[in-house]
Amino acid sequence: MADTEKLVFMVLHGPEHPEHATIPFVMGCAALASDVEVVLGFQADGVELVRRGGVDGVEAPSFPPLAKLMNDFRELGGKLLVCGPCIKSRGIAPDDLIEGAEIVAAGRFIAEITSATNSLVY
Amino acid sequence: MPATITESELEAITAAKVVDARGSACPGPLLEAKKGIGAVSVGLILEIWSSDPVTKSDIGAWSAKVGHEFLGVLPGEGYERIFVRRRK
Repeated sequence: MADTEKLVFMVLHGPEHPEHATIPFVMGCAALASDVEVVLGFQADGVELVRRGGVDGVEAPSFPPLAKLMNDFRELGGKLLVCGPCIKSRGIAPDDLIEGAEIVAAGRFIAEITSATNSLVY
Repeated sequence: MPATITESELEAITAAKVVDARGSACPGPLLEAKKGIGAVSVGLILEIWSSDPVTKSDIGAWSAKVGHEFLGVLPGEGYERIFVRRRK
């Protein structure tokens, strides 16, 4: 067990599901504020959220706008890992991604998850 | 999260910093508390204003998690005043 706690949140829903897209950012920001390292892993339709402009206008009832949460998450030092095959199949080029989003494959996700204190799937 | 001091003691507090998170939705008040606590010296008190009734339990749990002292809550007019002492 590493000294620092780490949580991995896998994000599988895109802008068409605002609540499912928003809650992992809420949890991630709360964890970062609690001195817990956080990785958000984007797969399937979730990769649409790290496309430039992908969170613009996304707002679930009773939650802050997703664009604000994305900014907060990045300012607090959260990591964004994006499934390479998932962006390729959607025609998303690496240059289309927001700054700081890192394209990875399954092995990296497995390494992050197995080294984490816990992982959740949204 | 139980308060650690009495209501009359809370009334007597002059916080080193007040954070107004009224109208902010979860996790906004917590993020404001995180920023605010960094602006007060160790041993001094941060006061958070929130209109979300869940914030007090959130701040209580957060304080215990990160090692600060949750002092308690006072009612405001349509909001709550939450007091935390920075401990590290």
